[in-house]
Amino acid sequence: MMQTDSELVRLAQSGDHLAFEALVVKYQRRIARHVARYVPIASDVEDVVQEVFIRAFRGLHSFRGDSAFYTWLYRIATNAALTFLRRAPLEEQLDDSEDEGSNLFEPGISDGETPERTLMASQIADAVRQGLARMQPELVDALTLFEVEGKSYSDIAQMFDVPVGTVRSRIFRAREALAKRLEPMLAPQRDRRW
Amino acid sequence: MSQKVSLLLDSQLNAEDVARVLQDLGADDALRDRFTIYALVGDAMRGVNVPDDGFSTRIFARLRREGVKVEGGYDPLA
Repeated sequence: MMQTDSELVRLAQSGDHLAFEALVVKYQRRIARHVARYVPIASDVEDVVQEVFIRAFRGLHSFRGDSAFYTWLYRIATNAALTFLRRAPLEEQLDDSEDEGSNLFEPGISDGETPERTLMASQIADAVRQGLARMQPELVDALTLFEVEGKSYSDIAQMFDVPVGTVRSRIFRAREALAKRLEPMLAPQRDRRW
Repeated sequence: MSQKVSLLLDSQLNAEDVARVLQDLGADDALRDRFTIYALVGDAMRGVNVPDDGFSTRIFARLRREGVKVEGGYDPLA
């Protein structure tokens, strides 16, 4: 089975904006969490993450597929965060942030995160936890092994001695159940999503 | 079709299906929303805090506003 990222990257390299947008939606938060390990203020994290994806888009032709696309993005993010820090020394950033709450992407780091955003993130996390608690165990196992443990579909199929098609179906059903639970909560933000 | 979107997110589609699903995503707001929520669920499970406040759309807006294009000689790691 072909890796979708490779195909999405190939399409993005040929000018397909939708393919690049799918990659952004897929990786934006993981990149934000990585950047937040260096950059303490949430609004700065967002600026740096935007810079990461702008650099990535401009440089798509230089991605040769020698590593995973996410690994490439991660390296760009590290460089962008370090560049940001060189321009704005950490002491100044921490002075600016004072005691304005914890960094949403990397808890424990001070930043200017708003209570509304923190609440929203917390509600989403709670809804996912509650949804998983009420779900059939085989669906929870499949989704958790894939999303959290990083197991492949074929690994999961072997672990439970089921066809790969069953794993596909279980992961999809688990996501659908969680999506239905999240939908009412996320509806007000619909016009701000992709 | 939502199952195809789930498979797209997980790198489980061949080239032909990727192109087809992307075409559908481009034409269907609800399907794009599904892809977004599926990605959000995965991040929430990994403990990545997940505000849903237009983070990605602001990235796309900046790409458009600045007219960013793929540049042949540009290496973002240089």
